[in-house]
Amino acid sequence: MRNALKLNTTVGDTVKNESMTTPLLEARGITIRFGDLVANDKVNISVKAGQIHAILGENGAGKSTLMKILYGVYKQDEGTTFVAGEPATLHPPARAKSYGIGMVFQDFRLVPALTVLENIVLAMPRLGFWLNRKNLHDQILETAARYHIMVDPDAYIWQLDLGQRQRVEIIKVLIACDTRVIIFDEPTSVLTPQEVESFLAMLKKLRTGGYGILLITHKIGEVINCADYVTVLREGRVTYHAGRKNGFKENELVKQMIGEKEISTVNKTKGRDSKKIVLRVENFTVKCDKGRKILQEINFTLKSGEITGIAGISGNGQRELVEALFGLRTPVSGNIFLENINLVGSHPKKFLESGIVYVPEDLIDEQVVPGLSILEHMILGGIPVTSKRFNVDWRKAHFDMVGLEEVQRLGVASPERRVDQLSGGNVQRMVLARAMARIPKVLLVSYPSKGLDIFTVRTVHGMLFSLKEKGVAILVISEDLTELFSLSDTLIVLANQRVHGPHDPDETHPHAIGQIMLKGGEE
Amino acid sequence: MLAKRVFFNKYSIGTKITMALGICIVYGVFLYTQGANPFLIYYEMFQATFGNVYGIGEVAIKATPFILTALAVAIPARVGLISVGGEGQLACGALSSTFAAVYIFKDMPSFIGIPMLLLAGALGGALWAVVPGILKIVARVNETITTLLLNYVAFFLVGYFIYGILKSPDAYGWPFSPRFSDSLRLPTLEGTRIHIGILIAVAVAIIVWYVTMYTHLGFRMRVVGGNVKAAKHSGIIVERMQFVTLIVGGAVGGLAGVIEVSGIEGHLRPMTGVGYGYMGFLVAWMAGNHPLLIIPFAILLAAISVGGNALEMHSGLNSSIVLILMGFILIVILAIGKRGGK
Repeated sequence: MRNALKLNTTVGDTVKNESMTTPLLEARGITIRFGDLVANDKVNISVKAGQIHAILGENGAGKSTLMKILYGVYKQDEGTTFVAGEPATLHPPARAKSYGIGMVFQDFRLVPALTVLENIVLAMPRLGFWLNRKNLHDQILETAARYHIMVDPDAYIWQLDLGQRQRVEIIKVLIACDTRVIIFDEPTSVLTPQEVESFLAMLKKLRTGGYGILLITHKIGEVINCADYVTVLREGRVTYHAGRKNGFKENELVKQMIGEKEISTVNKTKGRDSKKIVLRVENFTVKCDKGRKILQEINFTLKSGEITGIAGISGNGQRELVEALFGLRTPVSGNIFLENINLVGSHPKKFLESGIVYVPEDLIDEQVVPGLSILEHMILGGIPVTSKRFNVDWRKAHFDMVGLEEVQRLGVASPERRVDQLSGGNVQRMVLARAMARIPKVLLVSYPSKGLDIFTVRTVHGMLFSLKEKGVAILVISEDLTELFSLSDTLIVLANQRVHGPHDPDETHPHAIGQIMLKGGEE
Repeated sequence: MLAKRVFFNKYSIGTKITMALGICIVYGVFLYTQGANPFLIYYEMFQATFGNVYGIGEVAIKATPFILTALAVAIPARVGLISVGGEGQLACGALSSTFAAVYIFKDMPSFIGIPMLLLAGALGGALWAVVPGILKIVARVNETITTLLLNYVAFFLVGYFIYGILKSPDAYGWPFSPRFSDSLRLPTLEGTRIHIGILIAVAVAIIVWYVTMYTHLGFRMRVVGGNVKAAKHSGIIVERMQFVTLIVGGAVGGLAGVIEVSGIEGHLRPMTGVGYGYMGFLVAWMAGNHPLLIIPFAILLAAISVGGNALEMHSGLNSSIVLILMGFILIVILAIGKRGGK
């Protein structure tokens, strides 16, 4: 079977005809489980030479897992993989590579202290003892020229930006001469809009060059732009499959991705009428950790007694925005007015004292102190501390905590339990109870229902509504449109470094919001 | 009670004792290969340290700086900083107190002079810790590296003054500072060399233990040490906390310096207290940075040092052979600590 593939490598027109019929890579009935979670459930997929096959899906739909199976990172529990029509085991990645499968990961695997050429050398297994730099140099430039990829073989990786690094990764895959199938894992997430265009152009050239391409994405525009086939995954299952011949319908794709989720607005209560602006964000520009401006010149307001939902595909600046709103990240420019006091540049302590409370996304990383108990966590920016001979009055804190309505309703575990030994859901309960018990002016919540069972989710929603009634301005970040629609009084969408909206969830269809999330608001 | 909690201790005291016994056995085999009777040597070492009042006194004298330099490591460790600066802080504490003793408090009576001297030494150590503190907070330079490098600077700084303006005209050309006046020497126990330094060291250890374990401040330090992000989220100004802790650690390290010059030597030499800072680091590691556990571990290492002299006298082996024992202990602790680490 490996020989069959080698044959293909000598791209002759006669062979090409044959390979148009036999898929280069095919997977049938792939199932993989991680504990209780079925990440892929009987998934079928295939890619032929000269074809771009897009795999579309929400975060956590199982796209990356599927690709990692095809690249041999994971071994499937059930199902078979075929290379050039014959069954083949792809695990581990070295074997997948020998079958001509290459993958460009989201997080690049490059050594910053080495040059582009040296990094490419690292990926080439059969080189012999001596390094023929001249030869390699030419080879890189030749490959780069063929597909119009701009790359300087002598530049150091640390000098390159993310787009350039991605090109190095691509060259790495291309220069390994066996490569027939290239898997791209959300390649455009690190690129600027201009770079995306040239990237898509390059993809088309690769297609013409006879490569089979698997493109993971959640951006519909890219699919429509270049894909020959599209497969939509939702909750680990293939929900839709279509070819360009049948025509891609945007609405259909959005619907298939998001699903026909029940959007219930039963519990929603209207907030108070006298909605005064509590928090005003003006001309706000924030950079992400990689130094790229992730939100530019955005403006929005939070009103008391109102829940504002922030929709958007993760990585569009949600984390950066809330971190900046809590003083953990200094914005490049812009102002945050809390009742006409500008808080920009202050320490989180000031934000906390001014009445802003923040529930981050990654609680284990950002909230849990190893070795400390729930009670000890509860006084961290939560229950007010009473002192008793230099020390915290732990007895009183214990009494206060047990008496809290929020603690009882959310079923927070007992005060003595160590937080680092709790499950994610229990940590979430504790952090939410702590945040709500403060009755802040502004509550910033990321992913409020993460790790919680349905019943607790309802409780949390109910508590958010009652906080709203007390006049708290609440900002909820979530990727779950169902949740956002059932909670929010207004909805804004983060995409393409901008804020889109506000939208009224009662008068907007979830699919319209989905469109903006995916397409970046080119309505 | 809630606040009662072991620090970074991953191993029970029982395990640690077993480890210590294992080390003794292996070292005994090593001694045997060197032609010595290990049982006899262990016996002599014990006799020389805990066998009589003189030995106990020597051990207590030796343990004093170890306790303080270990606390200089343990305090920053509470907020998650690894300081190796005990050596330099000790040197600077000794230097600043010598300046104070020679130029300012020379004729003061003991009851003012000695507290002022201790203050001067603590100030010297604290100032030496300001440099890594600022570098840490402003430029995010790793405190382990800065404190370590500054140790060498401190050593040469002491040398610079001892060979320069601090050099005593009465020392026959030796690089010694002028002798402290008698009123500025730490009071000793009648007829021995034991001075009140050991009491100061133990008192400081108890204060550190109380503050870190039973106060709101200590609690917040623990939060910073446990998770910097969580600390920030709960409104603790992490940078200030880290800075202050480094400085306080420096002050305690400086105290070790004053006590060494004023308690034992009576004048400053270039080699005063050299190596004690690293010994303190070793002690802090062995004690898992627990302020009270530091005391017995400091005594243990002090006993090994003192016992080394006995070893030389009775076996004919070089006294530096105990350094092998210490190195051995350090390696075992580092290796096991690493495995148990995150």
